[in-house]
Amino acid sequence: MNSLQTLNKRMRRTVFNYVKRHLSSEIERQNEIFTNEKSRQRQAVGRIEKISINYEGPQPESNEVLIMNKNISTPFDCARHLGDTVSNMSVVALLNGETLWHMHKPIPDTCKLQFLHYQSPNPVLVNKTFWRSCSFLMGAVVSQAFKDNIKLHLHSFPSPNVKSGSFVYDVQLELEDWKPTASELKVLSLEMIKFCQKELPIEHLDVSKDVAFEIFKENPHKTKQIPDIAENNDDKVTLFRAGTHIDISKGPMIPNTNHMGRITIANVIKLNTDIPDGHIYRFQGVALPRSLILNHFAYGLLEDRAKLLNPARIPGSQVVDNEDNSFVASMTA
Amino acid sequence: MNQAEVNKLMSQLRVSVKRLRKFRNPLGPEERLNKLRKTVTALIKHERIELNYPRADESRMYAERLISDAIRYGDCHKSTMEMADYWLIEKQLIHKLFKVLVPRYENYTISYTRLLNAPRPYPGEKHCKAVLELRGNPYPSLVKDFHSDRSLLHNVLLDEARRAYRSEKYKEIAAKVTANLKDNGDKTRQVEANANDEAKATLTSDKTKKVESNEETTT
Repeated sequence: MNSLQTLNKRMRRTVFNYVKRHLSSEIERQNEIFTNEKSRQRQAVGRIEKISINYEGPQPESNEVLIMNKNISTPFDCARHLGDTVSNMSVVALLNGETLWHMHKPIPDTCKLQFLHYQSPNPVLVNKTFWRSCSFLMGAVVSQAFKDNIKLHLHSFPSPNVKSGSFVYDVQLELEDWKPTASELKVLSLEMIKFCQKELPIEHLDVSKDVAFEIFKENPHKTKQIPDIAENNDDKVTLFRAGTHIDISKGPMIPNTNHMGRITIANVIKLNTDIPDGHIYRFQGVALPRSLILNHFAYGLLEDRAKLLNPARIPGSQVVDNEDNSFVASMTA
Repeated sequence: MNQAEVNKLMSQLRVSVKRLRKFRNPLGPEERLNKLRKTVTALIKHERIELNYPRADESRMYAERLISDAIRYGDCHKSTMEMADYWLIEKQLIHKLFKVLVPRYENYTISYTRLLNAPRPYPGEKHCKAVLELRGNPYPSLVKDFHSDRSLLHNVLLDEARRAYRSEKYKEIAAKVTANLKDNGDKTRQVEANANDEAKATLTSDKTKKVESNEETTT
């Protein structure tokens, strides 16, 4: 029994991969496809046309008209014309007062442009965007944190719900009944903090179903989800990339990982699912943007709450999970 | 052991009093006080001023002392009035001190002024800048208010955490109450049963007594 315990301990100690020197060939392959597709879409724009964008600032004096490039310029480019404060602070763009638009997604036509940030009045949508990005970034960290001998497939994350107290990513892990220790959770949190300190931009790309299948051909769960996602989104799959990590999400996301402030991965809980040959674990965490300052005690309360199992829907083999459609950009060109 | 702490019995300023600075002055120490008088007057007049940090820090202590004396002794106290007359160059501000600021600060438990670091203009002078203001002034706040807007992310999270905690507590209380009710029910049943037994016992004892008395009478 003793020897078993020590073995178990030793196994646990080696669960994480602290320094990943080489990217796996799989990640390289995915990134190559992503980069090629991105440059192909950029070249497909052809002759550059100009569009005028009416920026609506917080005060009427700060309104501007910007002449930008159609299908090339992004809201982030517009924000950079307006100064560092605007470009660093903006979380997500609002086109024509109704469509949320990722900051690094090219604008297709003349429109009115507003920028939202964490302290803008009624920031419900911004909070949701932040929460979704947290799930996405946690997926990026989790997929790189474990050693190569532990097989791992990202499954999905439910629609972001700030009121549940934690953001969630469901992951298939080849570990029987793993209960993370406090130090292991601390390591995971630190990995996420380090990842976010790299100040990586979060890129956006709409791809066809085939390209998405090609990118996620090694992931059995994502390949199952892709047809349904594409059906609800004009046969397109929206991808996001932070660093080398690529994932499917409706978006929008935060423009850069440097928006993240306090981050804690609070708990990992094994779920009871009927998904064949897989142990699905629910990774839960809580985070705050850099610009919102909270004292340690209050943040501790949030951390304690994030340790409880998140009530979001548990993935099963029957239901194909995908995020809610509320954020599908339905911009008429 | 049980003696009162002497320093609690004395009036004390609510800002930390540091060693006073020697402002370099060709006109001597009196001119130093004249400079501070100008600043204190400006503070009482405008309620928010921006200036170099050392002078703000220094004049803050004098302003605090002036206001606390005005609250403590009122406007019929001779030496307080003299001090107000000395520190406030513009004499109409003496009225403001006693009629506006004293009512405002009467029930304060914190300092009456607030000192904030201000950004240093670059390129420009190397001196640190500060903003000195009276609390409760009518201007918009200089520091961000993270508390009152409950739709901010951390406030949403905190409110939900509070709600979850409360619902848990209510559940606990409800569980306790039901447990108590059960216990009480059992106890009352027991008590009733005991009472019945006692009543029966007394009845029987009475009967026996009666029987005995009857026997006595017969004999």
